[in-house]
Amino acid sequence: MAETKDKIDPPVTLVEPIDMSRLDSSFRKEIQSMPDGNELNACFACSTCTAACPIANQWTYKPHQLIRMILLGMREEVLSSKEIWECLTCFQCQERCPQNVRVTDILFDCKNLAAEEGKVPDSIKGLAKELIEKGQLYVITADWEREDLDLEPEVPGMSTDEFREILKATRTGKIVGGE
Amino acid sequence: MPTYNLYMGCSVPANYPNYEAATLKVAEALGMELIYMDGVGCCGSPNLRAIDYFGWLVVNARTLAIAEKNGHDIVTPCNGCFGSLKDVLYHLKHDKEDMKKVNDELKKYGLELKGNVRVRHVVEAMYTDIGIEAIKAKVTRPLDGVKIAVHYGCHILRPKDVTEINPENLDDLLRATGATVVEYPLWKQCCGATVLPVNEELAIRLAHDKLKSMKEAGAEFAMVICPACGNQLDLQQFGIKDTYGVEFNLPVLFYPQILALAMGMSEDEVGLEMNRVPADPILSHFVE
Ligand code: SF4
Ligand code: SF4
Repeated sequence: MAETKDKIDPPVTLVEPIDMSRLDSSFRKEIQSMPDGNELNACFACSTCTAACPIANQWTYKPHQLIRMILLGMREEVLSSKEIWECLTCFQCQERCPQNVRVTDILFDCKNLAAEEGKVPDSIKGLAKELIEKGQLYVITADWEREDLDLEPEVPGMSTDEFREILKATRTGKIVGGE
Repeated sequence: MPTYNLYMGCSVPANYPNYEAATLKVAEALGMELIYMDGVGCCGSPNLRAIDYFGWLVVNARTLAIAEKNGHDIVTPCNGCFGSLKDVLYHLKHDKEDMKKVNDELKKYGLELKGNVRVRHVVEAMYTDIGIEAIKAKVTRPLDGVKIAVHYGCHILRPKDVTEINPENLDDLLRATGATVVEYPLWKQCCGATVLPVNEELAIRLAHDKLKSMKEAGAEFAMVICPACGNQLDLQQFGIKDTYGVEFNLPVLFYPQILALAMGMSEDEVGLEMNRVPADPILSHFVE
């Protein structure tokens, strides 16, 4: 029987206590200065984004927590998280946010910052390599299928040289070159 | 005759020539002139946006600038290409500094982007420029009201301020063929294509949930307008069978395939046999 004298466990919290010394207060400004970060400060932690997210249930850090972590300066945790890479880029969170925080776009910004530090999952690195080497993600292999349908064996007008040249000179080149 | 820059991307021609062929044939029948763009490459996909924002801006701005030069709107059959081109254009129109940086790069190719070009999904162009009535007038053997669930795809619906697409227009396009549009709870949900490279198990789960939702709502077929979504909902039914032991057996067709058939074209003309889950059951639904 429950007695008032029973010992009460500490309350269950969603996140581990935050180590203040590891916070990076410039992270918030960094994201804010990126393409879609202007509205970041408007987040009032309602978790609507998380409610809209089809995969938050299997994430340690939910979308609203990721936004909060950015605001707090938990740079290392956010940029090393698997969540930013698993994001489907489905924009459901962003569509529902009552404060117009561009949640999905901000996660794209985080991925770019992670990539700048070389933190890119191997499978994505592999795709980057394909882009530099082949100049496209998918290459035609079954041209007979195309010919059966009266299509040219190769896509008319397709050219990959400029694409490869551009990406070799930008961060993709750096990511692939650093293999 | 309305004339367009046709931006095919790399996924449709490599993986779904049936979608490409059906699109060309339907456009021709509707009096739309689609001209393959010259000298353009891949859009890079959301994966490129994730790792190399600036590179993604430049490669897509290059495509936009080529289209701008010849003055026609860009149309594409791929939601991924649509999303990339639309997003880049939206960003550059709102960010003068990036527009300048990107144009400095484009100068090397003798190009300049002003931002006047319009980017459209090819089916939206059918809806807006040709119109439902004119499309209906071309339907010679309508479907018998068979229940079809529409998977719109994330990058055509969202973010809405960027994509400017109304999902109801796609419903109207499908209804013009005589089909009944099935409402289902997970209509907004992602097919899982983007996460495939980093977490296949999760991608399969998402495709599974989506198909289950369609099926439970009574859908006999699914309609898509994107090669990546097509891949996840059609081909992935085999992955779902391996993982969950569930066989949905839900044929998935690209909108132009459905329309072409309703216009009286043959199954060979739209490459129906290339659809991974056999889609020929649709043929029994056309009222001759
Ligand atoms: S929905 Fe918007 S305001 Fe609410 S927690 Fe998410 S980002 Fe913050
Ligand atoms: S975009 Fe990413 S974070 Fe937002 S709802 Fe989709 S999967 Fe979740």
